[in-house]
Amino acid sequence: MPPLNEQLDALVTLQDIDLMLRDSRDPEMATHETRLGFARENVKGLEQTRERLRRQIDEPLLRTYERMSQKIPRLVVPVEGRVCQGCKMSLPTSGVGRTTPGTTIENCENCGRILYRI
Amino acid sequence: MTSPSLTASKNASSLESLLRPTHFVSELRSRKKAQALDELAAALATAGVTRSPEIVAELLREREALGSTGVGKGIAVPHARSTLIAERAVLVARSQKGIDFDATDGGPVHLVFLVVAPPMERDPIYLKVLADVVRAVRLSRTRQRLADAPDFDTVREILIHAAAE
Repeated sequence: MPPLNEQLDALVTLQDIDLMLRDSRDPEMATHETRLGFARENVKGLEQTRERLRRQIDEPLLRTYERMSQKIPRLVVPVEGRVCQGCKMSLPTSGVGRTTPGTTIENCENCGRILYRI
Repeated sequence: MTSPSLTASKNASSLESLLRPTHFVSELRSRKKAQALDELAAALATAGVTRSPEIVAELLREREALGSTGVGKGIAVPHARSTLIAERAVLVARSQKGIDFDATDGGPVHLVFLVVAPPMERDPIYLKVLADVVRAVRLSRTRQRLADAPDFDTVREILIHAAAE
């Protein structure tokens, strides 16, 4: 399995691909794009990409994503200047330095989202 | 009754607010789609829209694999919503030589409008911006003026007026 930071990269891409897939299956969105002239014929290819990304993510992290993303939209969010971009709350300074980014999964203490540090 | 000028102003507003000099590439170096997407994502990073251009470029390639956003007549409108995009943005880029973009008409692409947004589930403004861009470049004289424009300010003026027509 790749290092955790690479798994988080794959997880972020997976989350964006899932949004793209939901758009493709949404008749209103699909119609809007088709009317503008954008092709959308290869949904199967997108599903294959999704599977490839899933294989790059450790099973427990993947299970957490698939379970929690049903309840929390935008489950994986970037951190900008110690602020969770999901709930916009500042992350407590007490947590800073406790873990090295990219070595453990970090969750926002306020909203529970998975934090992605760039 | 709504006056024509008010309607025009409303039509242009979404696109107008996103057209910025920092979001303009006068001449792309790349001639191939994949490299052009890398170049566009790098330009987004330079403009401060993302800090992860490689991942954004990968997402744009995945969107292109779903189906080309080269809509023909020399125009491409690659687009995506991503976790790693900080704000809605439109990046305008030109290519005199043309890019092989797998466009629907098979022709080279000379004008690229990259539209990105954060991953809101439903984002009517994002959809409107996409529609504004496509509408703005529907006339061949507009496309020619955009290709010939000497600077970003001229490009911006042309697009605002064309989107409002």
